[in-house]
Amino acid sequence: MKHTRRRTRTLVALVAAIAMIAAACGDDNGDPDEPEAAEEEVAEEPEAEEEPADEPDAEEETEEPAEPGDEMFDITLIPGVTGDEFYVSMECGALEAAEEFGVNLDVQGAPQFSPTDQIPVLEAVIASGPDAILIAPTDVDALQAPLQAAVDAGIEVVLVDTTLSDPSLAVSQIASDNLLGGSLAADALGELMGGEGAALVVNVTPGISTTDARGEGFIQGLEENWPDIEFVGQEYSDNEPARAAEIVSAVLAAEPELRGIFGANLFSAEGAATGIRQEGRDDVFVVGFDAGPAQIEQLREGIVQALIVQQPLDIGYQGVEQAVLALTGGENTFEIGTGFVIATIDNLDDDDVAPFLYRSDC
Amino acid sequence: MAQQTLLQARGIVKNFGHVRALRGCDFDVYPGEVVAMIGDNGAGKSTLVKIVAGVQPPDNGELYFDGEPVTLADPTEAQALGIETVYQDLALAPDLDPAANLFLGREVLKPGLIGKLGFLDTKAMTAKTLAAFKNLGAGVQSATAPVATMSGGQRQSIAVSRAATWADRLVIMDEPTAALGVVQSRAVLELIRRVRDQGIAVIIISHNMPEVLSVSDRVEVLRLGRRVAQFVTADTDMEALVAAMTGARVQEDAG
Amino acid sequence: MTQIPETDLDTNGATDAEGAQAPPSALKWLTDRLADSTAFIFVALLAMILVFTVLRPDAFATVNNLRNIAIAASILLVLSIGQTFVIGTAGIDISVGSMLVFSGVVASLAMAEVGGGQGWASVGVGVAVSLLAGGFWGMVNGLLVTKVKLPPLIVTLGTFGGVLGLAKVLTGGINLRTVPNELVNTLGIGRAFGVVPWLVILALVLTAIFGVVLRYTRFGRYTLAIGSNEEAARRVGIDVDLHLLKVYTLSGLLAGVAGIMNLARFTNTTIQGHDTDNLQSIAAVVIGGTSLFGGIATMFGTLVGVFIPTTLQNGFVILRIQPFWQEVAVGAVLILAVYVDQLKRRARNRL
Repeated sequence: MKHTRRRTRTLVALVAAIAMIAAACGDDNGDPDEPEAAEEEVAEEPEAEEEPADEPDAEEETEEPAEPGDEMFDITLIPGVTGDEFYVSMECGALEAAEEFGVNLDVQGAPQFSPTDQIPVLEAVIASGPDAILIAPTDVDALQAPLQAAVDAGIEVVLVDTTLSDPSLAVSQIASDNLLGGSLAADALGELMGGEGAALVVNVTPGISTTDARGEGFIQGLEENWPDIEFVGQEYSDNEPARAAEIVSAVLAAEPELRGIFGANLFSAEGAATGIRQEGRDDVFVVGFDAGPAQIEQLREGIVQALIVQQPLDIGYQGVEQAVLALTGGENTFEIGTGFVIATIDNLDDDDVAPFLYRSDC
Repeated sequence: MAQQTLLQARGIVKNFGHVRALRGCDFDVYPGEVVAMIGDNGAGKSTLVKIVAGVQPPDNGELYFDGEPVTLADPTEAQALGIETVYQDLALAPDLDPAANLFLGREVLKPGLIGKLGFLDTKAMTAKTLAAFKNLGAGVQSATAPVATMSGGQRQSIAVSRAATWADRLVIMDEPTAALGVVQSRAVLELIRRVRDQGIAVIIISHNMPEVLSVSDRVEVLRLGRRVAQFVTADTDMEALVAAMTGARVQEDAG
Repeated sequence: MTQIPETDLDTNGATDAEGAQAPPSALKWLTDRLADSTAFIFVALLAMILVFTVLRPDAFATVNNLRNIAIAASILLVLSIGQTFVIGTAGIDISVGSMLVFSGVVASLAMAEVGGGQGWASVGVGVAVSLLAGGFWGMVNGLLVTKVKLPPLIVTLGTFGGVLGLAKVLTGGINLRTVPNELVNTLGIGRAFGVVPWLVILALVLTAIFGVVLRYTRFGRYTLAIGSNEEAARRVGIDVDLHLLKVYTLSGLLAGVAGIMNLARFTNTTIQGHDTDNLQSIAAVVIGGTSLFGGIATMFGTLVGVFIPTTLQNGFVILRIQPFWQEVAVGAVLILAVYVDQLKRRARNRL
């Protein structure tokens, strides 16, 4: 036991040292890393202290050699991309659940939404041997094999937000019903447009299950409920606001009847609004998806008229809950759909909307 | 002189826009001699050297090599005739070693199949380079350190050795000592004499009159794009050379 | 003279010429190598591996994890081989990632046409098409640089955007998923003797071959001569334009190889995943001690330079350090590597 204590301490010290070195390299920006080093300390210390109190899961721990002192479950969340408010909110929800259920939650991710960037991170996470992984796969096929490897290594996998071609390897998949979200967007936009004019979808990039479903849902919703609105097509912003703005400018030039745009994600809606503003138009309505600070700002400014708000906190929370259930032998719910809130300038500060707005930190 | 010229330039004209760099310039080099080309700035020395080295074609005029008319469309054609040039900027690759520089563009490949694949025979090139340095008395000990680590004199020696190694007939040197100190200049001049002693003719461009008088066998003077005088070094002095350069004294062209 | 930092070209000669006079002691050999920035970064990589191993021996230093690091590095390594030659000539190739994507896209399209996207014939056609496509764009880069005389940065910046755009035109922006199982099961996830992934073997074999080409052949010599002093190379009669054309074509060909590797590994064309391949490969090459000004390049350095960011990322994740620190650390390593290179150069050119 003493031995493990010492090792944990050494580890903490070395991690802190590396963080220090990294900080020193990063233009001597020493401050931000200190809380992190401290956090590490808090996270590791109690494990060692509580060591004697053996819990049932200790047996499972012995399967992973040289991972001493682990009492609490280690769960790693891998978002689709780092620094995105949707995923940050998911992280907040997951953290909340982690605290509640008494598990360690670590977040690791890549700076680009792409399997080429996400897979190396996932592989390293697998190597670090957590008990469960919450992941938003960046490709329905490419992540299949690496996640199978995680399952083979005895790690429980929970899919959050996005999914796989064959999700059966996961204990649970939790996501917004994006098809529904899309049709909600069609309804919101149809109402704003008064049921006439032309509408455009600015989507992210083809091949992402969630945003594809939103686009599809929007088109279906339009067809079913708004027969007098002309659908002019779906364009792709590649998740770049500037690209979205260019697209909107171009379509406005070509389609003077354009009265409504559905921006299928954060940057697409943001860029669409920018494009409209550039063209100096005030008769074009924008419905966005998601509710990051930038979009809420635009909602307040009246550039965007409605937001279809997902519940990433709920996704994160339920993700951890499902992981814990799987680890403790509970019964999992394989498919969980989380709901939506429609935010407008009028209800933005109401109690049934405000808590769902996305956060840039927890 | 009854001897056959090695290189003869006749009536060379070269204009750069409105600038008339050469206006019917003549020049002669005889086998195995050091001939100094002198002249004030703008006399056309560098332009004439570039034409003889094949870097630029003349607008008009003829070149004769061994009495035969030749055209030099690019440097490799001049090299094929056995003419090598040491430029003022030396044209060395500073990151490569002396052996690589000496053999640049003329690499020795390994024998057999492996050589056909382009493998270099570094050992052979290094040995030949060291032999060339020794033969010419060049003060370069290492054939294997990057040229950038070496002194100006050593670099000049490498450039001269390279030219001497590949020139069968003629080496042209543009201001070989301009950037060097006294001791290094002396070493390079000595190197020039050894090149001549191997039967290779040398054209040396220089502003330094004592140096010209000490190293050359003959002197040809350019002024305003024409050759204005020819001297046998042993029969002349600094005063005469300067007078010819500045136009204070005009000598009838012997050619 | 103080320590002479040795370039690629002179190390083998040094033993011939000077070894006979004074056999260098082991200590001198070591200090000579330490003055060499390639050795410096190699030591840095070993130190990183050591630290990670000490901190998490159970997680980091496992066969499986090291294998994953090698796989993660393999595709970038192949791109960086070509980049090493290009930067060796004092050029730059911003378009490697786009050529990779384009090659993969046309290969996938071609494979769908042959045998319905399955079978070895399909694989063969796909590989051929990928190499042709990559080589073609590389040649276009080379022609624009040598014949139209545009700066390499601008040329490859243009093809970076244009070629990726064309790839998206061909697919409507949707990732193609036609990849024969034969390719995925061998190159993609297969391992030699059940241990070493074929992706890694392919990358290492190419690195070794082109390392030898760079160091021991006339092709490599011309590459560095042009990078060191292009005018000097022209004056000795080297066909500089032809050589540059070959170098850029080689970079494209290797991007074609990487395109196939990428398809095999990710089972789709990952159009969105290669925007920063160019910067990553340039960083790897420069960290590896190749001079951005040309004339100095080593393939071993590039190998190490590719592994440093990959290892850092893996190690940081395993140590559960916030992911953004990895970017900070790689940036710091890059700047440090260039600084060491500058110091070395300044010391060398002092004379």
